Amino acid sequence: MNRKNVMWKMLSTIMLSALVVAGCSSGESNNVATPESVLKDGKYDPPLTMTIAKQQDENSGKYINGESLNDNVLTRWGEEKLGIKIETTLLGGDASQYNTKLRLALTGSEKLPDVLPVYDTMLINDLIESGQVKEITEDIATYMPDRIKEIYKQYPSTFNPVVRDGKVYGMAIAPNLTEGEVMLIRQDWLDKLQLKAPTTLEEFEQVIAAFTNDDPDGNGKQDTYGFTFSGKDSYNTGWVSDPVMIFSAYTGKHLPRQWVNDNGKLTYGSVAPGNKEALGKLRDWYAKGYLNKELATQGAWDALSDFTEGKAGIIVGRPWLYGSVKDVEKNIEGAKVVPYPTIQGVNGDRTYQTAQLNDGVFMFNKDFQNMEAFFLYYDKMYDAAFGTGEFKYGYAQGYDYDIVNEEVIFDPQQFNTPLEAVQGVGKMAFTKNTPSVDGPGQSYYDLANGVEPDTGVLLQSASRDQTTKDGYRISYENRDSLIPNDFNGPPTPTMQNIWEQLTTMEQEIFTKIIYGNEPLEAFDTFVKQWHEKGGDEVTEEVNDWYNQASKTDVMALMNLK
Amino acid sequence: MYHKTTGYRVFSVFNYAFMILAGLVCFLPLLHLLAQSLSSKAAVSGNLVSFWPVGFNTDAYVKTFSNSNFISSMWTSILRTVLGTSISMFILTCAGYALSKEFRGRNALMWFFIFTMLFSGGLIPSYILVTGLGLKDTIWALVLPGAFGAYNLILLVNFFKTIPKALEEAAFIDGASFFAILSKIYLPLSLPGIATVSLFIMVGHWNSWFDGILYMSDASKYPLASFLQTVVVQSNMQNMAMSQSEVEAMSEQSIKAAQIFVSTLPIIMVYPFLQRYFVKGIVLGAVKE
Repeated sequence: MNRKNVMWKMLSTIMLSALVVAGCSSGESNNVATPESVLKDGKYDPPLTMTIAKQQDENSGKYINGESLNDNVLTRWGEEKLGIKIETTLLGGDASQYNTKLRLALTGSEKLPDVLPVYDTMLINDLIESGQVKEITEDIATYMPDRIKEIYKQYPSTFNPVVRDGKVYGMAIAPNLTEGEVMLIRQDWLDKLQLKAPTTLEEFEQVIAAFTNDDPDGNGKQDTYGFTFSGKDSYNTGWVSDPVMIFSAYTGKHLPRQWVNDNGKLTYGSVAPGNKEALGKLRDWYAKGYLNKELATQGAWDALSDFTEGKAGIIVGRPWLYGSVKDVEKNIEGAKVVPYPTIQGVNGDRTYQTAQLNDGVFMFNKDFQNMEAFFLYYDKMYDAAFGTGEFKYGYAQGYDYDIVNEEVIFDPQQFNTPLEAVQGVGKMAFTKNTPSVDGPGQSYYDLANGVEPDTGVLLQSASRDQTTKDGYRISYENRDSLIPNDFNGPPTPTMQNIWEQLTTMEQEIFTKIIYGNEPLEAFDTFVKQWHEKGGDEVTEEVNDWYNQASKTDVMALMNLK
Repeated sequence: MYHKTTGYRVFSVFNYAFMILAGLVCFLPLLHLLAQSLSSKAAVSGNLVSFWPVGFNTDAYVKTFSNSNFISSMWTSILRTVLGTSISMFILTCAGYALSKEFRGRNALMWFFIFTMLFSGGLIPSYILVTGLGLKDTIWALVLPGAFGAYNLILLVNFFKTIPKALEEAAFIDGASFFAILSKIYLPLSLPGIATVSLFIMVGHWNSWFDGILYMSDASKYPLASFLQTVVVQSNMQNMAMSQSEVEAMSEQSIKAAQIFVSTLPIIMVYPFLQRYFVKGIVLGAVKE
């Protein structure tokens, strides 16, 4: 009898607690009347809360001092100084999870966050069509601070994805031309073989041939090769392990997988004529063993391990790539890596590469009423980039910089309390990347020309290792070789149906030609098929979009002229 | 005397060789991971480590255990596994015991459960339901939605059915209640089945990552599998303006190896204790009526 009672009690307790858990939920804080927050002397009183969505990369570091996503040095700063509390209510790990969560939030099962960084053009489009995001044309004109307006004026094309019928539904996240790619070369190999760094295609070929055949590491074995890159996803990775320089040597501005405005009409780079010669060259090099044997199976991040291991002599990537491959200098005695500009095209022109103007766009919940507060906060985040105001050196002392013996230090290992990879303080705010106005590396260029480091940005640039600094300087000197993709709109209807097939076909044919499994003439067949299987329709739609996007002068509406 | 024939010996040699090979295939990746986790960062990123640490050090483990997110995720995972397994087993044994009896509407009820096994609502309805119930950001979002699995129910029902009816009747005559019969007779007798189903549920909870990412809006609430998913799966995003320390953090393979290794250990350690029930449990559960 007794035991029976106990059982029933257990059961009912579980039932009850389930009910309590369920009950707690439905009390949504919608109808709670809060007093209106007023902006007084740059601070909101009482504090207002801005909810945000965030894609956070766990790789980018850890929180310290027991802090967390919604309670850290930057959120506390915002609350104290501006009366703005930032609260992350939607968090996604990688890009696809984040997009999934945004889509689920669109089902209306919960309130959409106030500020939405969106990184996918399809999702941008869907958000606009859903009517859940705010039209901000007026808000930009009214509330955007002047110094930020100056930045947005420089990059009108970043508004293309968010304009619909002459109305603006979002804005680029911190527009700024990214750094360009450099060639990282094993200088000790060059010296040993008495070669100089290549500047043309012929010289490049000589160097990679020597790196493959003349035993640059001096171990008596033919176990090295010239050039490592990734051919897994695209022959234009845009950041690390990139072979796009070889293609551009023959095609100029027509880069694979990229749309370029060619006399007023957007054309697709992968079908441009020069690609055939480029593929022929790569095919020849592959057969002679100058290239990574497994290039088609290695992603951008994998293709660099051959370089770090000391097997490959040249890799192309953004200047910070040196940070990932510099271990070769630890693994192999005497190894030295030096950055050089990318080579010249066959006709003597420069080679081009993909540039990014922004990483995603900000969009806002249609019920969000505090655009002024957003711009106040956003403007403050720019302080670090401009080297003004509170964030002169960085965002927080002891986090991204420290002052040791009256000297500003950016290497976390030399702090008063040494740190391992810490969550970037700026990234505790809205987005994956902090605002920058440094372009492809102007601060490094200035430093190389003798400018005294006095702002946070200059000091930080000055604190980096020489190889990286040289890389950024080269990147800035060659900034004209950076070209953004001219098509940044949502996938067109035909694209949604067949783009995947077309790019798969492209990747397969290119790889097969390089591997020597298909004759070089397969490229002509590919171009023909590309046009027939929907490429022509896509081109037409892309151009329609482009004309549409550049038709209305939204810049004037936003007072950004 | 069949084992003295040549044919048998040849078979034995092949059999042993094959089993050793199969064992190695399972074991070597783990060994590789262990070697990576104990190697220096430079050697790992240069792909120089195979099955023996190069540049031995335990930095990766020190860093792993000093990472508060890792520890809190570990705790969430343990809590989730213990809570989830207990709740599931409680519901499943109650339901399984009842459904192993003959009563009117039993088949209809059973069909009702099996239906959920064949057709699920899908991601969006489940998400709306869970957020609507206010389970978001609580451990219940991870534990409750999967608490009642029809597949496990079938296993248990079949198990309970193998226990002779006479036993129950005898207990009734001695004055036992249903709950007494369940706890004193059925549960001890069906230990293999219980252990098997528990193991299924445990491993399921330990390994599942998607729900963690879906229902938690703060990374410190992620269970271990979700945490690892975000750490190990490299983002192919183009990262603008990465700082030196970020680049270095991204390529720290040895830490990832250590984290994977540490997270695999607990569930590997559960196996030996439950393994002895496992074979019997599967065999018995496999007999359907």
